Amino acid sequence: MIRRPAPSPDAGLRAAGPAANLLLLGGLVGSAFASPSLIVRGVAFGAVLLLAGWSGVGVSRFLRSLRFVLLFSAILFVAQALSVREGAALLDGFLRVTDLGLRSGAGITLRFLVVLASSLLFVSVTDPDRLAGTLIQAGVPYRYGYLLILALRFVPFFQRELRIVREAQRVRGLAVSVRSPAGIRRAVRYTFLPVLVSGLMRVDSIALSMKGRCFGLHRRRTAPSAGRLRLADGAAVGCVALLAALSILAAQEGWA
Amino acid sequence: MSSTSGPAIRIRDLRIHYPDRALPAIDGATAAIAAGETVVITGPSGCGKSTLCRAIGGFIPELIPARVGGEIAVDGQSVWDMDSARIAQRVGTIQQDPDAQICTLRVEREVAFGPENLCLPAQEVAARVDECLDAVGIDHLRHRETTDLSGGEKQRLAIASILAMRPEILLLDEPTANLDPDGAKGLFDLLGRLRAERRMTLVVVEHRIRPLRSMAPRLLVLDRGRFVTRHARGWIDPRDLGARAGAPAREAPSDKRLLRVDRLTFGYDTALFRGLSFDLRRGEIVGLIGPNGGGKTTLLRLIAGLATPDDGRIELDPGARTGFVFQHPHHQIFERTVTAELRIDGPERSTGEFDRWLAAGRLERLGDAAPLSLSLGEQRRLTLLTALRREPDLLLLDEPFIGQDRRNVEWIVTTIRAHCAAGGGVLLVSHDVALVEALADRLLYLDREPRFGPTREVFAALRAAARTPFLPEFWEGET
Repeated sequence: MIRRPAPSPDAGLRAAGPAANLLLLGGLVGSAFASPSLIVRGVAFGAVLLLAGWSGVGVSRFLRSLRFVLLFSAILFVAQALSVREGAALLDGFLRVTDLGLRSGAGITLRFLVVLASSLLFVSVTDPDRLAGTLIQAGVPYRYGYLLILALRFVPFFQRELRIVREAQRVRGLAVSVRSPAGIRRAVRYTFLPVLVSGLMRVDSIALSMKGRCFGLHRRRTAPSAGRLRLADGAAVGCVALLAALSILAAQEGWA
Repeated sequence: MSSTSGPAIRIRDLRIHYPDRALPAIDGATAAIAAGETVVITGPSGCGKSTLCRAIGGFIPELIPARVGGEIAVDGQSVWDMDSARIAQRVGTIQQDPDAQICTLRVEREVAFGPENLCLPAQEVAARVDECLDAVGIDHLRHRETTDLSGGEKQRLAIASILAMRPEILLLDEPTANLDPDGAKGLFDLLGRLRAERRMTLVVVEHRIRPLRSMAPRLLVLDRGRFVTRHARGWIDPRDLGARAGAPAREAPSDKRLLRVDRLTFGYDTALFRGLSFDLRRGEIVGLIGPNGGGKTTLLRLIAGLATPDDGRIELDPGARTGFVFQHPHHQIFERTVTAELRIDGPERSTGEFDRWLAAGRLERLGDAAPLSLSLGEQRRLTLLTALRREPDLLLLDEPFIGQDRRNVEWIVTTIRAHCAAGGGVLLVSHDVALVEALADRLLYLDREPRFGPTREVFAALRAAARTPFLPEFWEGET
């Protein structure tokens, strides 16, 4: 039950600004979609794993977080490999597997993995407070920017409340199952309602707290400073530049 | 300081009536608070203290609907004529639950939140952040995530974020309700310092008055919605329980052991406890005190089987059952009516059984009422009844006295004593050390160096170790 300590807020991409991380996310996803090369997509996925390790997320923990994505990717690969009939047959019988099928399966799977893994990396390393600040500076109305922060403030709260309510059910001997319509009704009443009551109480308090500090008094508010550029920002931008260069090279050389 | 020569706050014939309540929450309250004065408002639960705070802060009726009458003026200006955001620049309100008033994810950003809303220049915002973090002594936490802070640190952060608005009046609504004795003492010390350094007007709603005595506050007692000069004490004095000073209130516990905890180890990031051992006998109340985050609730969860120890053993008497009453009643309320709530723990076993349970909990006319519409005290009685209905041997109580008035505390005490007299046992978590001293046969102090033994001996050990906030005498005394 002893858990590993939280990574340092300055580890790897955590120190980078939200704009740099957003650019990196765009670069990774863009390379996965723009380049047909398996090498480019493979490099992009490898880069995500390396950056996760550098940022203190931990490669094995990162892969564990992706376990359902990896499982789905494997299914996607098999389905795609079996559905493509064209190309040289590597296995021809009840099931036909071709080289084109394998390549197509690998291409789709890698694209899927890059998109989801880079999104998870972005969420793991980007400070939502700073992201909201960046969005507000980019012209998003600050009330909407703060919606993001408040939503994230509520995530650990709802996780904790859900755990407490489930424990309360166990203490009272309540079996909550969602395998039947009646079970779903009970689950809603016994789980959703207590958590909702807690949530509404919390919303009331936070609304008073925000109003008590003049939230909404003016149309605009002071934007937090963007902060100075750091090595991590350079690393993110450099990574995007390398991926772009690799994609161009792959296109010129005709890499598969 | 106030800009006018009149009182900082003037309350005249104030009446506040919530739409869903039969009686007014405030019913003709009148008082004046001078600029720079320190006032403690106290009174029984439900007497209107929080309502008064919210009205002075301008949240009623703008955000919380209610019929209002009379007058509240801040610096001579009626709060009914001002937007709550405008009032906030004069009156800073600190709520009970520090966690519920934090809007952002980082300490520094939280303090900057208010000044940024005022559209102050970025340099001014930064200067206020530095000043206020320093004023409340949490400058070293400025880059931390707000979710990682302890209760005491969160309350300091809440005060810093209000101070950054530069209010003339600080209004604190039971600021220590969710703090452990250490955190509460730290907060009282901080308020004393702020008063001395900033000459702010302080209005503190608080049950525990003795630690505030050094600030020589004026005491205002609110009872049934109005200020009174002579009042029936609405809170409980542990001496009333008749269990102190050698006055035995009940039979001594039996020698039959109900619970044995042996070399228990458990932790999350770091071990909460390592090799913890203690036991509980039938007929016995064991008090459980200690700082927040020390593992008190976790220990109850382990004993109830809701978590698994890393090492060690928890042994209950064979066949014995546990009943667990959580800190917040609404977590354990699931049904649409009070009677249906009792039915969760089994069908009515004999005619009129539910009526007898409801009568025992003074809920006799509320069988068809929605449990969540009950008062906090009624909800607490209901959750204790539902736990008892499962006929537990060992009752695990997590802060059952928070927010309870004298009558409810007495009811809870009577109920758990009856449970012990019938051969059950109670493990009682509470920050109310004076009440724990009065009730507990033995005491477990849970911290890095746990102490377990007869209540008197554990308090003597804490006294020797200068753990002042955990001693009953720090909190007791005439109010």
